[in-house]
Amino acid sequence: MTHSKALLASLFLLVAAIGPASAQANKPAEIGVGIFTFTSGPAAAYGMPGRNAAELVIKQINASGGIGGVPIKPVYVDEGQGTDSVVSEFRRLSSDHANEVMIAALSSGNCLALAPVAEQLQMPTFMWNCDTHQLFLKDKYKYVYRTNSSTVPEFLASILYLLSVKPDFKTYAIINPDYAFGRDAGLIVKETLKALKPDAELVAELYPKLGSPSFNTEISRLVTAQPDVVFSNFWGADLENFVRQAAPRELFDHSQAILALGESALQHVGTLLPDGVIVGVIGDGYWLAPDAQRKPQTKSFIESYRQQFNEYPVFPSFKMANTLYAVKAVYEKALATNKDRWPTGDDLVAAAKNLKIETLTGTLALREDNDGLVDQIVGVTKKDVGYPFPIMSAMVRYPASLVTPPVGTDPIGWLKGLDRAMLTTIPKPGSYR
Amino acid sequence: MLKNYAPLIIDGMADAALIFFVAVGLTIVFSVLKILNVAHGSFYALGAYLSVVIGTFLVDHGWPVFSLVSIVISPLLIALTLGPLVERSLLRWTYGRPEALQILVTFGLFLILEDFQKLIFGVQPYAQDMPMQLLGASRIGGIVYLNYQLLLILLAVLTAVLLRVLLRKSRIGKLIVAVVADEELARTVGIDAPRVYILAFSIGIFLAALGGALASPTIGVAPGLGAENIVLAFAVAAIGGLGQIEGAALAAVLVGFTRTAAIYYAPELQPVVPYLVMVAVLIIRPYGLFGSAGLRRI
Amino acid sequence: MTLRYTLILAVVAGLLPIEVPWLGFVFTLAVSKGFAALGVAMLLRGGLISIGHALYFAVGAYAVAFLMRDAGISDLLLLCAFATWISAVVGFLVGAFVVRYRAIFFAMLNLAISMVVFSLLSKLYYITGGTDGLRVDTPTLLGTQLSRGMFDLVLQNTALVLMVVAAILIDRYLRSPLGESLGAIETNEVRLEYLGISTRGVIWAAYTTSAALAGLGGAISAIAIGHVVPELSYWTVSGQLVLIAVLGGIGGVPGAFIGAFFLELVRTFAVGIAADAWNAIIGISLLTVIFFLPNGLFGVIQHLERLRADCK
Repeated sequence: MTHSKALLASLFLLVAAIGPASAQANKPAEIGVGIFTFTSGPAAAYGMPGRNAAELVIKQINASGGIGGVPIKPVYVDEGQGTDSVVSEFRRLSSDHANEVMIAALSSGNCLALAPVAEQLQMPTFMWNCDTHQLFLKDKYKYVYRTNSSTVPEFLASILYLLSVKPDFKTYAIINPDYAFGRDAGLIVKETLKALKPDAELVAELYPKLGSPSFNTEISRLVTAQPDVVFSNFWGADLENFVRQAAPRELFDHSQAILALGESALQHVGTLLPDGVIVGVIGDGYWLAPDAQRKPQTKSFIESYRQQFNEYPVFPSFKMANTLYAVKAVYEKALATNKDRWPTGDDLVAAAKNLKIETLTGTLALREDNDGLVDQIVGVTKKDVGYPFPIMSAMVRYPASLVTPPVGTDPIGWLKGLDRAMLTTIPKPGSYR
Repeated sequence: MLKNYAPLIIDGMADAALIFFVAVGLTIVFSVLKILNVAHGSFYALGAYLSVVIGTFLVDHGWPVFSLVSIVISPLLIALTLGPLVERSLLRWTYGRPEALQILVTFGLFLILEDFQKLIFGVQPYAQDMPMQLLGASRIGGIVYLNYQLLLILLAVLTAVLLRVLLRKSRIGKLIVAVVADEELARTVGIDAPRVYILAFSIGIFLAALGGALASPTIGVAPGLGAENIVLAFAVAAIGGLGQIEGAALAAVLVGFTRTAAIYYAPELQPVVPYLVMVAVLIIRPYGLFGSAGLRRI
Repeated sequence: MTLRYTLILAVVAGLLPIEVPWLGFVFTLAVSKGFAALGVAMLLRGGLISIGHALYFAVGAYAVAFLMRDAGISDLLLLCAFATWISAVVGFLVGAFVVRYRAIFFAMLNLAISMVVFSLLSKLYYITGGTDGLRVDTPTLLGTQLSRGMFDLVLQNTALVLMVVAAILIDRYLRSPLGESLGAIETNEVRLEYLGISTRGVIWAAYTTSAALAGLGGAISAIAIGHVVPELSYWTVSGQLVLIAVLGGIGGVPGAFIGAFFLELVRTFAVGIAADAWNAIIGISLLTVIFFLPNGLFGVIQHLERLRADCK
């Protein structure tokens, strides 16, 4: 008799134990997150800092319990295999239900290819790095968000800085990689200058292939044309190769260079640059910026990164880190809204709508068309005794609202309509400290 | 007047110099072994990688001047180790068999070498510009040029002359020419044809690796370098006439100049130029500028 | 025998994805590469190696992208038909002067033209999208827009049906005088001309047909992936097509498809296990097949069939 009572009692306890658990029965063991970046080829010089940051941040998040008590399991995809392989991988990862969110991509070309696929497959996708303004230009997306800024504010900021330090230049040249990002930038720079300095003359416009090993002939062309200003949005190994090949040819000594993504290469080739080269971080992710240095969480991130990877985190690292924290915030909001179940894809995109969060380096606001609003920091190179490479100095922090076209306007049309008067009201170089 | 054209000439010749090294190796291999070596670009890439690695080692250990030496050591090492190995183990089984097969065997070799390169050197980009820095720069017509580029032009001309002298005057050269002209007869006279094949193949890949090593201080070295260069080498070798060294030199100059001119006058066309020239030349002279037709069977 | 083995392949490829859904995508791509490889195999029969056939693959793919974007055509079957037609026309025009060449020079000329097209596709950013390529939205079927999941199923099965149909047609072609002459060209071209057959005409017909096949393959691939890039015309893709043709075996029509399935499956699994070694794995497989199985994988099947017939 006691035997069967004990049996019944233990059965009852067993059911009682399972009972509450089944209310969270659809809580997964892990959150699968696909992370797309370049880990091979010339672009890896930019993509690896992104991957490193992802590893660091995910380790830290998982160490403190994960998201909603569930650890993140990252799946890294190398964008170096080419766009069609990247698209195929995205499809393959999406068909596995363990993967809930995609963080993709680095290259503007890949983002443009992946956005419609993400929408078709209803996979929540957060674009951590690509900034082509073409992304949300013609299409409305429900499942695609961009947790960083677009090309218009980024390059407008560079040109505003240029006009602040060198308002009287006569000629300029553009050399960008030949794909959406480079072509976008070329168009944006030309239109901005037409509106704000119509007498500036374009003397050379070159678009070498992304990943070209050598720019020697292009550099000769630039040097022959003797422009007062050279604008480039090269990145990754292209940027490093360009600096290495152009520095001995004295390009940076005779022309004012704007390296819009320059900060990412300062630790490797910065010593080859003279002081006064305008460099940017296409966003606000500079580790020595006042906002970054003020926040204890950021300082600890910088220190952990340096210890693990032997260099200071560059801005791609911050873009990735900020995106991961944004995704965490989205999950937390969705979990709070739907207390009884694990968030579905639709719950996540609803939670992401109009989200506003503090990031490691400032704030990120997602607006109605899912694009991101981030302030823009621009500065110039300056040698510093504290570091074996130049740092950014005379910085300006342009507020997102100042340099970003409003929702629903044609970005290029907005640029055409810029008023010269704005040059007197914008923040001055050195105002951000 | 000269000031306007100096950049064009210097850049064109510098471009031609690098193209020449890759193409001439390919054309020699074709001439002696009658094989179109699809893996030729892989040897260019290996030459570049090894040179960068050795150079970086030397620079880090305080001997920057010797980084110039790494440019010569690297192709020698590659030719001496891989030359006989690949020829003996792989290529010798393809002699006399249909071209389709030969091309496929070297394509298989290319695929294997691509991953071999990634295995040894990794997938991150490399750079080592110490040799370039050591030689400094000069001002010509008001524009700064790298002395290294000028040296490249000199080296290419020297190599072309040396090759010609080697083939016409030296004993080894005459053996090679004999085997190319008529292999059976050469064997009958007692020439060790298999040895000549190994030698010719090794010389060919030495030149390819040398091209890569010479290019490495001025470029970024990353995966994909081999694939890009093989198709360029094909184009130049075909334009010059497969198997013709002088043809390769002339074709290299032609392609180098037209590519450079494109950047100055029509930058959007720059990547298309080598292949357009190839199509144009092949339509007018199907066997290349200096090539000639083979025999048809009855 | 062609029909039998192609049907077996089609049925297996049609049923497996029911168990393992993502294989459907892999198989659709395999069929598309198979079409292009079949084109290359036809030319190989005539002793002609084309290392530029990726050109037609790209033409078919971009044709679909342009038709959808600029001509407003969105029906799956119409897109495939037009893309095949356009590739055939390009093949006809290019073939007009390419067929004068043989051996290495034929190969080089094809290579050159495919690289010219690659460079143009990469550079003409405002027309072709440059290196970023163009998007291909989901086509409609007889007027209705299906969900992507449903559409993928339809695409996969359409590709398999087309595979069987093409296999039968090309098999007929190869048994016809035009096809048999192709084999004769490899053996001894001059003798054929003495018989009064225009070798140029024979090769031209084969070339145009092979271009059409490659174009169809490109179209299916473009629709399956949803994106087209200039790399579709790059010389390494041409090399892969020749590899597939030889791997599968040029002795019979199913060979090209068997080779394509083998390659796609090896690639899918290798990328999962040893992402940086799959090129080498394929290279080694190629060398193994060349030296030990000169008639390719289908050649092994043919050999077994003959043994079985002998034993009766």
